[in-house]
Amino acid sequence: MPRPEQKLIKLTIDGREIEAVEGTMLVDAAKQGDVEIPYFCYERRLGQPVGACRMCLVEIEGIPKLQTSCSTGVRDGMVVHTQTERVHEAQNAIVEFLLVNHPLDCPVCDKGGECPLQDISFGWGLGRTRVVEPKRHFQKPLALSPLIAIDRERCILCYRCVRFSQEIAEDWQLIFADRGSHTFVSTHDGHPYVAPFSGNIVELCPVGALTSQPYRFRARPWDIEGAGGVCTLCPAQCNVEFTVRDEKVVRVLIREHDGVDDGWLCDKGRFAYQAIHVDERITRPLVRDGGQLRPVSWERAFETAAEIARHQGRTAALVGGGASNEEAFLLQRLLREGLYSHDIDSRPGGALPLELARTLAAPALQASVPDLEFAHTVLVLGTEPLDEIPILDLRIRKGVRRNGVKLAIASPRPSALDPNAAVSLRYAPDGEAAFLSALEAALGHASSGSGDDVASLAELLRSGGEDVVIVYGESLAPAALESLVRIARLLGLEGRDGAGLLGVPASANGRGVREAGALPNAGPGYAELGAPRGRDAAAIAAAAAGGELSALYLLEVDPVRELPDRAAWEAALHHAGLVIAHASVLTDGLRDHATVIFPAESHAEKEGTVVHPDGRLQRLRAAIAHPGEVRAGWSVIAELARRCGHDLGVLTSSMAFRQLVAAVPFYAGITLEQIGGRGVRWPERPEAAALPAGGGSAQTPGAAAGTVQPAAAGQTNGHLRLGTYRSIWAAPEVEISPALHYTIAEQLVELSPADARRLEVGDGDEVLVGSGGTRLRGRAAVRTGVPEGTAFLATGIAQASANHLTEPLVEVRRA
Amino acid sequence: MGYDPSADVIEVMRHPPRGPVAGTYRIFGETLRGLKTTFARVVEGPHTIQYPEEKTPVYPRFRGRHKLHRFEDTGLEKCVGCSLCAAACPADCIRVVAAENTPENRVSAGERYAAVYEINLSRCIFCGYCEVACPFDAITMGHDYELSDYTRSDLIFTKEMLLAEPIERTPLRVPGE
Repeated sequence: MPRPEQKLIKLTIDGREIEAVEGTMLVDAAKQGDVEIPYFCYERRLGQPVGACRMCLVEIEGIPKLQTSCSTGVRDGMVVHTQTERVHEAQNAIVEFLLVNHPLDCPVCDKGGECPLQDISFGWGLGRTRVVEPKRHFQKPLALSPLIAIDRERCILCYRCVRFSQEIAEDWQLIFADRGSHTFVSTHDGHPYVAPFSGNIVELCPVGALTSQPYRFRARPWDIEGAGGVCTLCPAQCNVEFTVRDEKVVRVLIREHDGVDDGWLCDKGRFAYQAIHVDERITRPLVRDGGQLRPVSWERAFETAAEIARHQGRTAALVGGGASNEEAFLLQRLLREGLYSHDIDSRPGGALPLELARTLAAPALQASVPDLEFAHTVLVLGTEPLDEIPILDLRIRKGVRRNGVKLAIASPRPSALDPNAAVSLRYAPDGEAAFLSALEAALGHASSGSGDDVASLAELLRSGGEDVVIVYGESLAPAALESLVRIARLLGLEGRDGAGLLGVPASANGRGVREAGALPNAGPGYAELGAPRGRDAAAIAAAAAGGELSALYLLEVDPVRELPDRAAWEAALHHAGLVIAHASVLTDGLRDHATVIFPAESHAEKEGTVVHPDGRLQRLRAAIAHPGEVRAGWSVIAELARRCGHDLGVLTSSMAFRQLVAAVPFYAGITLEQIGGRGVRWPERPEAAALPAGGGSAQTPGAAAGTVQPAAAGQTNGHLRLGTYRSIWAAPEVEISPALHYTIAEQLVELSPADARRLEVGDGDEVLVGSGGTRLRGRAAVRTGVPEGTAFLATGIAQASANHLTEPLVEVRRA
Repeated sequence: MGYDPSADVIEVMRHPPRGPVAGTYRIFGETLRGLKTTFARVVEGPHTIQYPEEKTPVYPRFRGRHKLHRFEDTGLEKCVGCSLCAAACPADCIRVVAAENTPENRVSAGERYAAVYEINLSRCIFCGYCEVACPFDAITMGHDYELSDYTRSDLIFTKEMLLAEPIERTPLRVPGE
């Protein structure tokens, strides 16, 4: 669906003439016109109003009875009164009714001070009670989930949380149980409400019925300060507001930004802030001394790290996680200018050819996040939004539900979005190139009419409408990305507004660090390098293990944990003479091999910029002071470079940003002030033309000749193909957050029911997964959507991660 | 147009000049009238209060050092840690950190209690707003006014200090005194 046209109409509220977009609800129009109408149940983000609380009654001329302004659309020439005697009487009565059973335990209630019910009772209520009868009582408080406490006495039955669960997150878990005054919010059978977006209902609740367990009794609104920031725990980079008390982050709230997060937040972003203030966090520099990592002074850490100057030409760097653009930029300067090495990478799946990388970053092919909502068709390709970029999962659901977006999913693993998809097909875990060339071929033919999945997907993309947005994962192989670009051109997405590609990087600021130059074959701004190209991640591992590289610089990444082929990285780190890391959590690879660890900043402490997958530069602001002896990442790199005899000329983070802007041509002219709190999408600026064109990738119809059956079972000799997935919870920050302990991902081996029967494995059984002499222990999860012949293993987890396995086929048996 | 400095000079009003009789009266007559009060007090005897052996009694509503209260029957603290006193405090001298009661550790009657309750008495202006704000009458202004100390940090009173009875009671004024 293209974006609806916005028609302005005029209406009168309380004698004021107000302009509003046709179709908006009266409450929203009134708010724009500075008329306040009280309400509880209405929330624009929740979509259709329900009119449950009756607080927003107004008098409309020509309609005899009072109307709920939250469910009445504005019309031209409407005359509305909100201050008449009838309206006041109705508002007083509604407040009185709502308070009949409300316990009024405001002094102990966590919502006290920021409670709409308090505010509205004060502003629109009668100010005294006539109720002498006893109130309804429930047991309180109950744990609705490990994260949320529910106090059913306080509930005013506004339906917000239930609507969120049913219409936004679509997990269908929350319901209203019982009837009449005994109604309460619950799950169907009383099981905990565990869902990746459950924390949003705490913020939606207009009373203190749903409160956050980690924030329970932590602070009052007058004890705290809000500090705007950006969450960099995943590529979605949602805008957040950190609640700070006594220099500690105690809560994370949304900071609604239509272009990024649409006002929702996942539970990782909402609760993993706890990792900032736990004892497990590294807050002092560590140096390996006699085989043990010991806390040392910064001076000593710098002295040890400055040894890197002796490894000129034999140093490699990896950039990952939440590294900011500035840190990546300064590190690649140190490496390229100071240490004469181009061995820097940030892409776990191997470097792309420069031409292809430029094409994929080209403004003409970029889709923005809101495009997902208004496209005709959205294709999710080789990624699971719920795990990799959770907030887009909600955005896609919204588009499908409200705007009739047709959704297609093509991935090896069953997706949470499958029930919403018009077409959903599976290809083999490493079969994306074959699948995409088949799709390309099917798109090339006029409607072939054959009934297979690829043909119906091609039909949907071709005839579903011109605006197609393709969300693709970074795990796609270069060959697959080549054909993806050709498919995008076949569909005419290039240069089309509201259509294009949206790449989901594997790390939070993947796009930003690559634009800043953390690539082996490109400098800042995808600039062409001279003759010597650097090694990519896999080649760095091989070279380090082989002794060609002697020093490794790990900027917020532990390759042993994060990257494929754990054994190779363990060998690489073991053989490297000097391993310098910026880290906040002591993960396996660092504990065993790091020589120097600089404490890394959290996203609430960092100053810098990051780039959203759709090209939006966003600014990180320091919400709290650095705990312990943590220092800013950019300053550590700059100081280290100075000690290596190569002064980068950076004294503040804004100087680093200015250097970055000067080095990246398509950022030209962007200032920190412009980025501000809302960000700047560089592909929308005229300077974006400065991105070197990525050469037309040649049409290779020959490659697409053979029709490839996706997910076809090959000769596997009873073994299963290995597919991997990374759960939303598979992050070190989650592991050390006390509130999220219940989510810690274990090795769940997903099997199809047919394979499970054949292997005599039941759901929940312990299984051993092996290939090439490596054995992993995990628990079987039998899922109907998993294609036969494939087993999916979790990667990125602390124990028994799938990156132990390197062979494409694995053997699964009962433990 | 330039500024004329003499434009806003106001004529100063002086009293009319006095004659010799009036002058003499002012020197002796008024002085004797004042001394009459002084000598009359001499007859009454000394009014010195022998502080610190003896203390000035205070009025019942005197706003001295705060007190926190417990329920007399259960011994639980009345304070639930709602922080309203901190919100009301114009000097920003109250700090409350709340925590949750558990069956093993029940401190107050409600769900929450004040794990930390501190009043910085070197900042307090003894306005009594905290007492007015308290929904549970858990904090009241006491009568204790002897608050000097050797270090500023000793003037930060903790919950235990505020809950404890003052060592020495301040005498109250009896009605009609």
